[in-house]
Amino acid sequence: MEILSNLALGFSVALNPFTLFLAVVGCFLGTIIGALPGLGPSNGVAILIPLAFTMGLDATSALVLLTSVYYGAMYGGRISSILLNIPGDEPALMTTLDGYPMARQGRAGDALVISGVASFVGAMLATIGLVIFAPMLARIAYKFGPAEYFALYLLAFATLGGVGSKNQAKAVIATCIGLGIAMIGLDNSTGMPRFTYGNLHMMDGIDFLVAIVGLFAITEVFFFIETHGKGSAIGVKLEKVTIPIKDLIFTSGAMLRGSGIGFIAGILPGAGASLGSFLAYMAEKSVAGKSGRFGQGDPRGIAAPEAGNNAAAGGALIPMLTLGVPGSGTTAVLLALLMTLNITPGPTLFKDNPEVVWGLIASLLIANVVLLIMNIPMVKIFVKVLMVPAWVLLPGVTMISFVGIYSLTGSYFDLVLMVAFGVMGYFLRKLDIPTVPVILGILLGNKMEDNLRNAMVVSNGDWTYLFSSGIAIGLWTAAILGFVAPIFLRRFLKRPPQPLDAEAD
Amino acid sequence: MRMTLLKALGTSALISLGATTAMATECIAPADAGGGWDFTCRQIGKLLYDLKLVPNPVQVTNMAGAGGGLAYANVVNERNTDADLIVAASSATTTRLAQNAYGGATADQVRWVGTIGGDPGVIVVAKDSPFQTLSDLVEAIKADPSKVTFAGGSAAGGFDHLKPLMIMKVAGFTDARSVKYIGLNGGAEAITQTIGGFTQAMTGDISEITGFIRSGDVRALAILTPERVAGFEDIPTAKEQGYDVVVVNWRGLYVPKGISDDAFNAWATKLQAVADSAEWKAVMEANGLAPFTLVGADFQGWIDGVVADTTVLSREIGVIQ
Amino acid sequence: MSSDRIFGLVVLGVALAYIASALQIQTSFLSDPVGPKVFPLMIGGVAVLAALVLLLTPDENPEWPKGATWLHLVIALVVLIAYAYSLRPMGFLVPTAIAAGVVSYQISPNLKTAALTGIGLSAGLFAIFKYALGLGLIALPRAMMG
Repeated sequence: MEILSNLALGFSVALNPFTLFLAVVGCFLGTIIGALPGLGPSNGVAILIPLAFTMGLDATSALVLLTSVYYGAMYGGRISSILLNIPGDEPALMTTLDGYPMARQGRAGDALVISGVASFVGAMLATIGLVIFAPMLARIAYKFGPAEYFALYLLAFATLGGVGSKNQAKAVIATCIGLGIAMIGLDNSTGMPRFTYGNLHMMDGIDFLVAIVGLFAITEVFFFIETHGKGSAIGVKLEKVTIPIKDLIFTSGAMLRGSGIGFIAGILPGAGASLGSFLAYMAEKSVAGKSGRFGQGDPRGIAAPEAGNNAAAGGALIPMLTLGVPGSGTTAVLLALLMTLNITPGPTLFKDNPEVVWGLIASLLIANVVLLIMNIPMVKIFVKVLMVPAWVLLPGVTMISFVGIYSLTGSYFDLVLMVAFGVMGYFLRKLDIPTVPVILGILLGNKMEDNLRNAMVVSNGDWTYLFSSGIAIGLWTAAILGFVAPIFLRRFLKRPPQPLDAEAD
Repeated sequence: MRMTLLKALGTSALISLGATTAMATECIAPADAGGGWDFTCRQIGKLLYDLKLVPNPVQVTNMAGAGGGLAYANVVNERNTDADLIVAASSATTTRLAQNAYGGATADQVRWVGTIGGDPGVIVVAKDSPFQTLSDLVEAIKADPSKVTFAGGSAAGGFDHLKPLMIMKVAGFTDARSVKYIGLNGGAEAITQTIGGFTQAMTGDISEITGFIRSGDVRALAILTPERVAGFEDIPTAKEQGYDVVVVNWRGLYVPKGISDDAFNAWATKLQAVADSAEWKAVMEANGLAPFTLVGADFQGWIDGVVADTTVLSREIGVIQ
Repeated sequence: MSSDRIFGLVVLGVALAYIASALQIQTSFLSDPVGPKVFPLMIGGVAVLAALVLLLTPDENPEWPKGATWLHLVIALVVLIAYAYSLRPMGFLVPTAIAAGVVSYQISPNLKTAALTGIGLSAGLFAIFKYALGLGLIALPRAMMG
């Protein structure tokens, strides 16, 4: 068994008391960083890279510390999604949809445990997938050209109508807002500025983190001022924190399916963790069909996207290690770390530097187990957040958001923009317009356009090129079904049941 | 959250004992982590500290925006006298300055410290491509430009795009607009699309594709240096194939304009020390960089020439009007 | 007029302005077959259609806040914008204490707790960000640091 001997090599490099200590510290710091709005896995790892060198860590120890932070931040993102309805980072976006309703029903503890286990399952399966299939799966990236990527993004947008709102036109408007914002900045294909009005800050476009933190965290502050916290999860009487065995068994299918979808999305360099968690959520929603209470606190609505985003994070390591293509912001930072250590990922990395690759894989497995062990008891501490009075918690979240965004770009322009997004989010939420499509539009809009235009360059303007491969046709079919199905189903089924706590919205 | 944060403080105080942030040298990489500028900052920053040229670890800041324009504007407008600041730069910086893509900023608004390595340009194809030599590719484009698309890591009109255009110009083909090019997010993505067969050739820097050349997934048709490069002796130069085009992406630094001559000279000396170190030579070898060192006043003069040449060239080729 | 209709009109206006602005985008000398205008125009077009649908089929009105609450919201908004502009020139500590205190007061009008929240958050967060995470925050105005 070559894999086992390789793994043994990895563990011999990565497993000793000092690195285990680093893994624990890294996981803890990562979880906290991930939970803070504005600070996600990418800037978390970026902030800590200099620290690793200050401490004079050798390559393996630095790798263990930073992968622990990376995985910890992926875990941590869900905590503020569930407790405060503020995603800690962009892959945790989908977890707000069912996590926060559960918290409002007093089941914050259950939601945190389920999402923790789902994260573990997703990350574990993805790491195993990475071990077994990495060299083979790297080839999948070669199958995706501009036409295939365009169809993939189309699939994501086609299923958006099913998110949130009762009125499909509102979801479409939200998507258009996101896509419209994405167009701001230099046009990637020609280098011409669009919608920048001569402002240098707008040249690089609007950072999606600014939008997320504004639309969620700042909006939340406005809502609190209006309602004085009525109907929020803060101060809700909490059920005792136990391990919800029944829910875990109930959601195990969702975790497995979510992991599969997330893993594949992760392997595709253009897709990434956000798309992975989004598609996992939408798939689970359609699998559940009528029996689902998605959007009102269905545990499967937490399990699927959490398994999905963590599996995607694992999957994204495959193109990063084997092709040197960072599939997401976070893997880009890990790539930077490897390059600082003078290791250039690429097709020969597994052959040239086996101790690095297998050391990395071993440290991922270690981090994952440490996180699971650490997170279940930590749930008890996390839910206490909801007992902090709102007049401390909300100003705290606001200030953390400001510092997070400020540390990201160092520009007051982005801070003002974040507040503007907060105002927009307030009106959108008042009018029952979902904000998730806005974020997804900002995240994917440019990639979608670039791939469409690249496809047209390659094919000399022949539109049939978009349907020229089996993969593309399959994705188009799924996209069309995903858009049409809800419209038809809606005619046959009654209106979706009203949320139990509709008055709180 | 506040409680847990305070706990975190306790834990992390342990690991931040050595971290003194006071007056540390800052290196701005004007792009996201993982690219060439980031590489420059991290490698030079690490060596500056390892060689004890600076007292504290160099803090790398990623300031992405406008292809480096945001960082440039920031340095010119707000950090003009900061003697502890260095900024990563490369041919992409001078190309954009020459094409007036930094919103009116000009190359004389900062001081150019030096370059300590060159990343040779390459044209590569997938291993199963019908093109065996650079001439095969050039002739195919001449016959029917719609049949060949280049993939590169910069936007249209950028540094990667200029390479094939310069080759075509030398070959006597002047209709630059008909040469097809798609700009992707970095060289690695460009190579993936080329191996996948979606584009016919890739234009980039050799450091971006060393792994793919060694694994045999791609074939380099030409390297754009005056002579063949050590470590890649079997890649023919464009020049020896009859296309006299030399494009090397230099990697170096600039500093704010307003610092004293002493401070500027100190940086030039430090950079020279990094360039002379055995560690840097190892880094260059591992990443396919060719030795290319110019510091201080020599470099300043060289930069002025490069910017002027690029402006003329971009106008000739039709990238700018 | 219902809120949704007003919003529909706003979206319609913005979408038309967006389309007008998209038509002004300069096309580069080097351009691809699709060009930089088509995709923004498509987005604008879809937004116009969706806005028309919303005008025809509005939902019920949400419950909007009353006079005094609006005042609280506007105060919070003004404070947050002022905070954004003051972070750089005035350092972290003072603006954060004021902004956190005011926001706290808007949520729960109690002077004492608001003041304590402001000062506590300002000092606590500064310590955490500066010393635990190593962010380069400036405590006080540069001038006062000498």
